[in-house]
Amino acid sequence: MGIPSVPIVISDFYQQETEKALNEGLPGLRTQWIRGPVWAKTREELRRDVIGGRNPITNQPVMQEIVEKFTKPLTAEEKRSGEIVRDKGPATFTDTEENLRKMFEEKRWTDFLPIVLPTPERVDEMLKGTSHEPDEIVGKMSPTNTGTYFEYWTYTVKDVAVNAVMAGAKPEYFPLLLAVAATGKESMSVSDNSFVAALVVNGAIRDEIGINYKVGAMGPYSHANTTIGRAWTLISINLGNCGKVGTTYMGVVGNPMNLINIVIGENEEESPWQPFSVRKGFKKNENVVSLFEGWGVLSAANWRAASWGKEMDYPKIIKDIFDQQGMLFGACAMLSPPIANFVKNAGYDTVEKFEQYLSPPMQFPGMPPGAKPNAGGAPKDPAPKGDGAAAKGPMPKMPAMSNTAILVTGGTNNNYYSIGGMRYLQSVQIDNWR
Amino acid sequence: MKRRNSVMIVIAALCLALFCTYSTRNSEAIAQGKASAEKITVLNPLGTPPPIKLKTMAPRLDTLDGKTIYLVDDGFIGGDNLLYEIQDWFKANHPKTTTIFKRKGGGGFDAEDPALWAEMKEKADGIIIALGH
Repeated sequence: MGIPSVPIVISDFYQQETEKALNEGLPGLRTQWIRGPVWAKTREELRRDVIGGRNPITNQPVMQEIVEKFTKPLTAEEKRSGEIVRDKGPATFTDTEENLRKMFEEKRWTDFLPIVLPTPERVDEMLKGTSHEPDEIVGKMSPTNTGTYFEYWTYTVKDVAVNAVMAGAKPEYFPLLLAVAATGKESMSVSDNSFVAALVVNGAIRDEIGINYKVGAMGPYSHANTTIGRAWTLISINLGNCGKVGTTYMGVVGNPMNLINIVIGENEEESPWQPFSVRKGFKKNENVVSLFEGWGVLSAANWRAASWGKEMDYPKIIKDIFDQQGMLFGACAMLSPPIANFVKNAGYDTVEKFEQYLSPPMQFPGMPPGAKPNAGGAPKDPAPKGDGAAAKGPMPKMPAMSNTAILVTGGTNNNYYSIGGMRYLQSVQIDNWR
Repeated sequence: MKRRNSVMIVIAALCLALFCTYSTRNSEAIAQGKASAEKITVLNPLGTPPPIKLKTMAPRLDTLDGKTIYLVDDGFIGGDNLLYEIQDWFKANHPKTTTIFKRKGGGGFDAEDPALWAEMKEKADGIIIALGH
């Protein structure tokens, strides 16, 4: 645009925004750092502590710095143009095992659990799990999944194999991992919300590679579930530049589910309904992996601890819980087969009927059911001035809760299930990567 | 014969004890990562970042007097109040500077707002944009 600009950002994002500015080709961007967070502060607090305060990085008065950022002439470094070519560094490293492990941790190439060191022999063995060429480009990944904020990194079949080895995965899991990697979806978002991600696997591949979809289905109780989930984490860290605290990871409190993610094999055999993948348009028995993201999952007993009766109205109980979910990610439920059958016997012979009951189309004032207001984002008319004006004034429009997912997994030994705020993203075939 | 057998048993027991001691120590050493000074080769686990194309920053202003500064709110809660306070600061401290508050549209914090960009390209001498949090 050619107009001098000063972005104002809270100093907690110093590392992140400095790296972002470099990646955007503006290493000298004159960002003004302030003490945060800004929201929830009164105007008096903002005037006294932020506008009248000091830059937490330089300890200089904020407004004096803003004026200087507009008027101080550009340095030679700030006028520099051209291109900085980057690569991934050396193709291999040679050292003792101890030193290599230490190096991987220091460079933050791990999840800080012990890794299987990716020797050429182990990587070659992993590559036997696919017919695709090692140098074939699989995809690209960015910590924000959109590429509009963080840059995309690209990766090959061999790069994915290296990370699969590190996670302890087996070659027979490799096509599934390639299918996930090809989506470009990171398993850990940069967002300060501490989001998590989930994979849902359908088809014969569940038994073929030993995915547990019975007792303990969502926990670390099978080699396949655990290492596939962990591999997605390492793929995200090393191939998508995700999970670097301070730059590409800002989850305020973090989430332990990021370690091996949530890997769910659907218990198709004991479900009363069509498999999730079939509901998404794939054939029955087709090997498909579906991706989700959101807040995570929690035992439904946590919401309804007092509900423990001889006769339970599970559809109503689940609906009550769904009604408490936020609109951003919608809601999902991981029902054990007994619960799914309760629901079916209560009159919901298809998942679609149950989803309709759980989440009827939202009705906005003056609009017919299901119609959505314009998705115009934040209204452009400023809110009236005054303390708390932003909170009381017009707010950005959120999409209606249109994302409801019902999955069936786990054992038949009791009536338990989990609920989460997880948004369905996409489903992809696995066998393309064999 | 019995004595020879006894000797053999004692020797076998000693050998077993020596082996076990060695084996345990070796296991401990392995567990401590001291097993071997042998070097191995491993592959780089990283993906490939794109090149960075450096952009020249916009020329600075010689003064703020007589200039128009746009104050842009990206829609994050509280950003408007922060900018209103900045607006008040300019009125008190740089009365010859004009400030104009605008809330960015476009459907998201990082979405483009071509109409606002065009307006600022025509009318703004400088931009302050409050980004999130």
